[in-house]
Amino acid sequence: MSRVGRVRAETGAGWRSFVRRRTAVFFTFFFPVILIAIFGALVQTDPTGGGLFAEPPAYYVPGYLAVVVLFTPLSRMGSEVARHREGNRFEKLSTTPLTRGEWLLAQTIVNAVIIGLASLLILALVIVVTGAEISFSPLLVPYILVGVVCFCGIGAMLGSYTDSQDGAIAASNAIGLPLLFLSETFVSLELLPDWFEPLVNVSPLTYFARGVRAATDPAATPAPVAGIDPALGNLAILAVLAVVAFALGARSIPRTD
Amino acid sequence: MEAVVDATGLEKTYGETAALSGASLAVERGEVFGLIGPNGAGKTTLVRALTGTTDPDAGTAQVLGEPPTAIDRDRLGVLPQDFSPPDRLTARELLAYYAGLYANARDPETVLADVGLADVGDTWYENLSGGQQRRVCVGSALVNDPDVLFLDEPTTGIDPAGRRTVWELVESLAAAGTTVVLTTHDMAEAERLADRVGLLADGSLIAHGPTEDLIAEYGGSSRLTIETDAEPAALACLSSLVVERERDRGRSAEPALVVRDIDPAEIGTVVDALEANGIEYTGLSWAEPDLEDVYLQLADETELERTDRARDSNDGPADDVERSPETEPTQTGGSA
Repeated sequence: MSRVGRVRAETGAGWRSFVRRRTAVFFTFFFPVILIAIFGALVQTDPTGGGLFAEPPAYYVPGYLAVVVLFTPLSRMGSEVARHREGNRFEKLSTTPLTRGEWLLAQTIVNAVIIGLASLLILALVIVVTGAEISFSPLLVPYILVGVVCFCGIGAMLGSYTDSQDGAIAASNAIGLPLLFLSETFVSLELLPDWFEPLVNVSPLTYFARGVRAATDPAATPAPVAGIDPALGNLAILAVLAVVAFALGARSIPRTD
Repeated sequence: MEAVVDATGLEKTYGETAALSGASLAVERGEVFGLIGPNGAGKTTLVRALTGTTDPDAGTAQVLGEPPTAIDRDRLGVLPQDFSPPDRLTARELLAYYAGLYANARDPETVLADVGLADVGDTWYENLSGGQQRRVCVGSALVNDPDVLFLDEPTTGIDPAGRRTVWELVESLAAAGTTVVLTTHDMAEAERLADRVGLLADGSLIAHGPTEDLIAEYGGSSRLTIETDAEPAALACLSSLVVERERDRGRSAEPALVVRDIDPAEIGTVVDALEANGIEYTGLSWAEPDLEDVYLQLADETELERTDRARDSNDGPADDVERSPETEPTQTGGSA
């Protein structure tokens, strides 16, 4: 079987395993819905007032998308790797032609499909519920795909270095929550203390948020990246980080005991 | 003959526990090699070292002429001991999934039928019984039609009928030229399937060879077991036979009189003596030595050696004490 065939077999198994866990499917899509309902409809943004949520609704679109692009891969990959370890599935797979990179690619494809669907739901809800005015840039697709690749790699590392599914989920929450709020998703850099800036700049999610905002929010005035259009420049940085995270994630998956 | 599996002096330590202490074995093409040994003897670690899923600390191993981590995975089939595949796939989907990972896999439907699960093919793995689950796992190891097959306790949890199905499957694979290394605690399984059996204890292969040779070497003599409260002296009239009172190595819950090295033709003589002396007995059974006797005999010897070593160690080194030699594999027949 070719590499494509192996990835297809692994992707098919991973997809069926996911869709047959109804609770996981429900909460994967319900989580962003809750978030939009709370922040978009109940709290509402107030462009003329003060406080944390003082930007126009379109400003928060990258944040809503980041919720699924960040949390779904981190928690799903972390627990999937831990589940594979607990069931000695990697021991079995390491005796087959499937490589670690192919396994991670297959899982990433499953996540990309799930997150792609969740992103469509989010965009529809944001427009309907919050009245956000956004432009549908084709760059949204690569941003979501590259973001998924990046956080699947990080999720694989979490699952490999924690000792159980519970540990992997706890670790993904511990890393995901600070990243979500310190990556220019919901809170702009100006509202944070200066010493946060270096942390914000090392977060891959920052480049996702900046780039998606540049591509979708007509009112945004993002700074160019080394003289390049910010929508493309941030995508390039995110892509480099994704390649590194994917490589490290694949390498971290255990082949031996 | 060509050794398809060849290991020399494998050592592996986990913390302070030595799982392998110089294990060596060679398995020829088309041979079924059975590994037996107590829990913790190192069987699973040896299988892992031979399949490249653990890195030995010392020693060398080759499978199909390559180091285990470098062999063509399409030619290798492995059933890990504790293995649970994705549990919300059906038996049919699981076999198709694993078949999809190989270049030239067998038809998953055929494998499903081979492991006797055609009628539950559409049942999720998590809803299968423990024995059925194990049979799916066995199927996953066969689905690529491997040249070398490692089965770590393949029939654990499988009912007698299912076990027989797996045995027949392994026999047919061996007949077709597949080299099989299997570990088991089931002596009947090893006796039926294995061309040669190796006993692993304390991380070393302490004996190996064809079953009948091992039995002849270590199995002891035939025995007649008489379940009675009587003492051996009550059968003093049988002066030509050795009569002992012993627990029959765990085969009988109660102590019994055991008459050793007795020909079946002499059983009538013993029965006559029992009746002549008014000895009451509740059961009488005659048995040839088998692989379980070999296992118990060698395991006992290993335990004694371990106790001796511990005692020597506690006593401290003494120049005038002749230490027992390190465990060397004892070969009985065969060529490894």
